[in-house]
Amino acid sequence: MAVIEALDLCRTYRTTTGVLRRKRLEIEAVRGISFAVEEGELFGLLGPNGAGKTTTIKMLITLLLPSSGAARVLGLDVVADATELRQRIGYVFGGDRGLYERLSAHDNLRYFAELYGVAGKEQRRRIDEVLELVGLKGRERERVEGYSRGMRQRLHIARGILHDPQVVFLDEPTIGVDPVGARELRDTIGNLVASGKTVLLTTHYMFEADALCDRIAIIANGVIVGHGTPAELKASVGQGGVTEIEVFGVDDPIVERIRAIDGVTAVTVEEREQAQMLVVQTAFARELTQPVLAELNGVQVGRVTSREPTLEDAYVALVTTP
Amino acid sequence: MRNLRLLTIGGYISYRAMFGWLNPYLYSLTVLLPSLTQLAFFVYLGRASHVANDSYYVAGNALLAAATPSLFGMAQTIAGERYSQTLALLVVSPANRTAVFLGRALPATANGILTSIWTFAIAAVLFQIAVPTRALLPLALAIVATSFSCVGLGLFNASLGLRWRETGVLGNLFLYLLLMFAGVNVPLDRLPSWLSTLSQGIPVTHGAKAARELVAGASFGHVVWLIAAEALVGAIYAAVGIVALRLFELEARRGATLEVA
Amino acid sequence: MRTRARRLGGVLLLGLRVHFKMLSRSPFDLWVVVASPLIFATLAHFLFADDRGQKMLVAALASGVMGIWSSTTASGAGALQMQRRLGVLELLVASPMPFWSVLLPISVAISAIGIYSLAVGLVYVRLFFGIAITIHSWAAFAVAVPATIGAIGSLGFLFASALVRFRSASMVGNLFEWPVWMLCGLLIPVSVLPGWLQPVSWVFAPTWGMAALRNATLGTGHPWADIGMCAALAAVYLVAGALSLRLFLDAARARATLSLAS
Repeated sequence: MAVIEALDLCRTYRTTTGVLRRKRLEIEAVRGISFAVEEGELFGLLGPNGAGKTTTIKMLITLLLPSSGAARVLGLDVVADATELRQRIGYVFGGDRGLYERLSAHDNLRYFAELYGVAGKEQRRRIDEVLELVGLKGRERERVEGYSRGMRQRLHIARGILHDPQVVFLDEPTIGVDPVGARELRDTIGNLVASGKTVLLTTHYMFEADALCDRIAIIANGVIVGHGTPAELKASVGQGGVTEIEVFGVDDPIVERIRAIDGVTAVTVEEREQAQMLVVQTAFARELTQPVLAELNGVQVGRVTSREPTLEDAYVALVTTP
Repeated sequence: MRNLRLLTIGGYISYRAMFGWLNPYLYSLTVLLPSLTQLAFFVYLGRASHVANDSYYVAGNALLAAATPSLFGMAQTIAGERYSQTLALLVVSPANRTAVFLGRALPATANGILTSIWTFAIAAVLFQIAVPTRALLPLALAIVATSFSCVGLGLFNASLGLRWRETGVLGNLFLYLLLMFAGVNVPLDRLPSWLSTLSQGIPVTHGAKAARELVAGASFGHVVWLIAAEALVGAIYAAVGIVALRLFELEARRGATLEVA
Repeated sequence: MRTRARRLGGVLLLGLRVHFKMLSRSPFDLWVVVASPLIFATLAHFLFADDRGQKMLVAALASGVMGIWSSTTASGAGALQMQRRLGVLELLVASPMPFWSVLLPISVAISAIGIYSLAVGLVYVRLFFGIAITIHSWAAFAVAVPATIGAIGSLGFLFASALVRFRSASMVGNLFEWPVWMLCGLLIPVSVLPGWLQPVSWVFAPTWGMAALRNATLGTGHPWADIGMCAALAAVYLVAGALSLRLFLDAARARATLSLAS
């Protein structure tokens, strides 16, 4: 049974504009989203700003009622069984807000532990555990107002898993965090999954989704425009790879042999003043640098650059296709 | 010319930016109604203490009513900028500071005048205070002068807001000080002499006195010096405020306290 | 059943402690409560020249209650907006505890810092005006203080719940500051007010809290009856507030108004 199931979720917002003559506007933020997440998966929801990621996640964590459609988490309905569900899910969002600044990290955790039903006797142990997990041990007595963005994010994650939820929802958890901090956060997220939890992550950082997620759904304009594993998504766009090798004197027989290598789709040689640029196009997801270099044995070789199709290529293609 | 534009158009736009959320309903609820209830409080306190008649309290508190929108309107211009994180942008701009902040003072003054007039009118009806017709125009003048001087204080308060984060606290403190020592709720002769001397140097004192005397039947010529004194007090506070603004801005840039204070 | 009650108790008590601690670290909130006794006790000193002793003592209590009310109107009405601004409201709503149990400690904490107000008022008149603090019935006084705070806090809870859909809730809260100060027999005896206004004061907790404190101090009237009224009113406020919250939360989830920054 899928741990998270979204069944044709829709969400429309109604706003009014103007002071004296009020006009009603209807914005369809989510227009029929369906997907399923299996137990132990790290599932990514990828999309540009305004695509409907946050709206979708809020529907799943019972903060928003869907305009239509249904969703189930752990078999519980997000509308009818909201209270029971809240005990078993965790919610973490990015940014500076969401913590009591004037309190220490420890006090914040203590408060939320109580609110989220961590048993009294368990609280101290559990707080220590999560602080250790996110790497904030030793700094928990300092006031949050002095924390860096990365530390706050880690505290957010600590807070989100205090009550040991089976499913954790992370909304853009590394936004605005420096590269080192972000890497540590991703490790922490990876550990969550390793410990058996199911994680749903929204992000618009491609490499993050590529590196972390088992499966991804790409959202644009309120609908899913593509889904699958990162590899599948890259393949769906149908781009190959390109390897550029700087060589000093290569002749036709060598080029022919390279062209014959299984997986090479095209080879061209560009003259560049002193050297030549051998441009080898390869079929998707084939790592052919070694075979090509083997054929070049005896030829003086300079720089080798490989450009692989990235998730970003797939994403841009899917999102911008009308 | 550029400074004049900054003064008028810039002032208007930035006022709207800070108070754009204030629609007519909210305005009457949050500014007009509280000034009336504050006045009523002191009329009844006056009745309980048998210190002075209703007319004393109505005239004084109606003029004092200009203080709240002026003080908080001006303080908000700094605090609001800090909150929306546009303060740094303002500091970095080449605009003439004086023109910018004086520009914000104009709508705040208008606000104060409106509040005062409205409060006076309603209170006069509610508590049956007869105002001689010939006193109306001089009264309006007294209100303009008082509103201006409150805004001057507001400018000073706003400049302090560059230095310390808690502009709400300071504004509140100034309001309470006016409440107690401007001769509006406690007749000056009941205060120790050193305090009543200090009262001469704060906004509202002279304007309120002028209003009280006008209501009691005094002529314009009788109160013109009071009105002038009120305007002078305002000008001094405004000048101090503008100088302080420059000083604190410099210090904030030196001590990196612009966004935090 | 017992664990649920214990959990509720835990959330209420801890919430009270946590939010009281936070508010005690906020210069603005502290100022709001400390200003009242200083201002209004001083005013009383200048205005009520005769019969100093008793009048000033009562004025100290009155200004203390005014401080409690000040905090309630300044922060209490906008309590939910504040949580929204901090970005924490969603987390509170998403918690498995019933939302009223999350909000109530916040409301009571906001009123509870008014205890600094009472303390400052009494110390102030003692030190600066030499007024002796003689309390007729210490037992009644000791109960009257938390009863007053609890009742006013519950009224704050009702405000917060009823006003939550208004982004400028705290502004609306401020509307009630002067009127309640005027109506509830604090610094101004109720007898001075027009007759038709007097019954209005009975709906507001400060009236009965003040009466309890005054009667316990001076040995007049029936302080325990006043305390009883505080408790009764608190119950009414709580029920009304909880109902209002329910309506709001359901509507907010339907209309997505939970996280809009104010």
